[in-house]
Amino acid sequence: MSNKEKEPFFSAKNMKLLTSPFGANNPVTVQILGICSALAVTAKLKPALVMSLSVMVVCAFANLILSLMRNTIPSRIRIIVQLVVVAALVILVDQFLKAFVYDVSKQLSVFVGLIITNCIIMGRLEAFALNNKPWPSFLDGIGNGIGYGIILVVLGFFRELLGAGTIWGYKVIPEAVYDFGYENNGLMLLPPMALISVGIIIWIHRSRDKSLIEK
Amino acid sequence: MNKQSNTYTIFYAIIMVVIVAAVLAVVAAWLKPIQQVNIDTEKKSAILGSVSLYNAEEASNDPAGKDAYVDKAYKEFIVDAFLVNSKGERVGDATAAFTVLGELKVAYAAEASKRELPVFISKDKAGKVNYIFPVYGKGLWGPVWGYIALGGDLNTISGVVLDHKGETPGLGAEITAPEFEGQYIGKKIFNNEEFVGVVVTKGAGSSEGNDHAVDAITGGTITCRGVQNMVVGCMSDYVPFIKKTQLK
Amino acid sequence: MENLLSIFVRSIFIDNMVFAFFFGMCSYIAVSKSVKTAMGLGVAVIFVMIVTVPVNYLLNVYVLSPGALAWISPEYASIDLSFLSFILFIAVIASIVQLVEMIVEKFSPSLYNQLGIFLPLIAVNCAILGGSLFMQEREYANIGEATVFALGSGIGWWLAIIGIAAIREKITYSNIPAPLRGVGITFIITGLMGIAFMTFLGIEL
Repeated sequence: MSNKEKEPFFSAKNMKLLTSPFGANNPVTVQILGICSALAVTAKLKPALVMSLSVMVVCAFANLILSLMRNTIPSRIRIIVQLVVVAALVILVDQFLKAFVYDVSKQLSVFVGLIITNCIIMGRLEAFALNNKPWPSFLDGIGNGIGYGIILVVLGFFRELLGAGTIWGYKVIPEAVYDFGYENNGLMLLPPMALISVGIIIWIHRSRDKSLIEK
Repeated sequence: MNKQSNTYTIFYAIIMVVIVAAVLAVVAAWLKPIQQVNIDTEKKSAILGSVSLYNAEEASNDPAGKDAYVDKAYKEFIVDAFLVNSKGERVGDATAAFTVLGELKVAYAAEASKRELPVFISKDKAGKVNYIFPVYGKGLWGPVWGYIALGGDLNTISGVVLDHKGETPGLGAEITAPEFEGQYIGKKIFNNEEFVGVVVTKGAGSSEGNDHAVDAITGGTITCRGVQNMVVGCMSDYVPFIKKTQLK
Repeated sequence: MENLLSIFVRSIFIDNMVFAFFFGMCSYIAVSKSVKTAMGLGVAVIFVMIVTVPVNYLLNVYVLSPGALAWISPEYASIDLSFLSFILFIAVIASIVQLVEMIVEKFSPSLYNQLGIFLPLIAVNCAILGGSLFMQEREYANIGEATVFALGSGIGWWLAIIGIAAIREKITYSNIPAPLRGVGITFIITGLMGIAFMTFLGIEL
């Protein structure tokens, strides 16, 4: 790469791009992006993880490709170009899922397609990739993908644990607890609790980081 | 070069579309066989499942891989497969039967008198014979389908596997649960030589003592009605074949 | 007819785009601060929905699904283009949104002033793409069913955003714990609304 500034690949600035979406700049709980798909696939841990990985891959590569193309795109068809690149990547991911993790791809069904309109990806393309070099854009994509993934995995973990008493499909709550009168809370698996759980995550996050509180 | 000119924009769009289309077509063509294996494996395991010859745990722990395990079991237990027409005659071989399985929707879209539908015959280690009939119908949101296995008398149901594309989780989607599928075992599709099928009745326990009914799922009535139409409607297409075979 | 009514009522109340599938949450949260803007976006969603879903339905039936090309010539019957559906659907949506924007601007400037700023937002609203993808997955029998489904889903989305916007206007002066203010409480209220909408599940149609 003919990077004239000779900036190291993992300079402090680049590392910050990668890690800031984990917490203070989390795409889901702070920027409120990409909620659409975040909630629908989190009733179980496994689809949640596959979904996060897919979003991370699409986000990183869409950022990389758009950043490489950024000086050639005619401004009038900018949005369409972005959508085409993202849609093509999503189709690739979908084809790979169908070929190698067929069970999970059946569970995700239409939600893989919805990665196209995941606002995180479009948001990062507009806000970052179109004005930055490929490598930082790639890191930014990975970072935001992971930030999104963290929330999905946390949600998937608690919803599956409390709703079905399992983790990754394995029973973790011993029978003895059920004998005491404990019951799985089926409501956790239904859509409304996903929304309420995100509300609670936001609450916890903002109680710890007061600077994020809205006026 | 002027990046805002119409020519540039149009050429840019054309080149981009060509590249994207080429990449997608290549990948789709490359992955197609692998995806097909997955789909075939799912069908084979469902067929075996309807006669309780498929163990999911064993399959995923098999060192040769799930696909190979299912394929081996399928070859071992499914002794015959063919297509039957509306007069109950054999019209196609095993390969044709499996191909039609992938296009059941098309097969059932044909006029009743022109339908050619697949039948599978299994024989387990004890030598017990089962006839497996694929069925296809419409649930609440999308297609439902399944496999109905009849015992050697071609009357008593020995097992059922149901599946669906997008029924409501926790309600209609419960048709795939063993509690619902299990209800079919032991039910009979003929009432004194007359075909009646198995219907779905509302309310827990409402089907008790009835040889031709199962309980519906609470909150999943429309899906269950779809399953009922599928079981009665599709099985009636097989009646000529069943009658013919029973006479032998 | 009965079937159409059933699809219509189901897509509004029972399988509501927002409460059951979380579609279009991003704009739902961002544009629900006042009833007036929420109204604008809601109407725009209904409008775009009933235009794009039938178009994508035709595309799906005559171009994309396996064997769909048979109407050109029987030789093409073996072609399966379904892997292209995402890209074609989104392209159709983006271009129709653009087209609608231009037409509305030309013929009804007052409507354009109300809807104009929302139209570009809609191209990336998951409710619209979700509508088309569900239409494909659920295999509606004819274009009438698909259109009714689109109308119902659009109205369902509109109903949801109007509801939350009205509640948010009301709670502006409520004493909410500081970290929950704004987005946090919106999520929780949406969840509660979702639970309320679940009561429709028992309805038999």
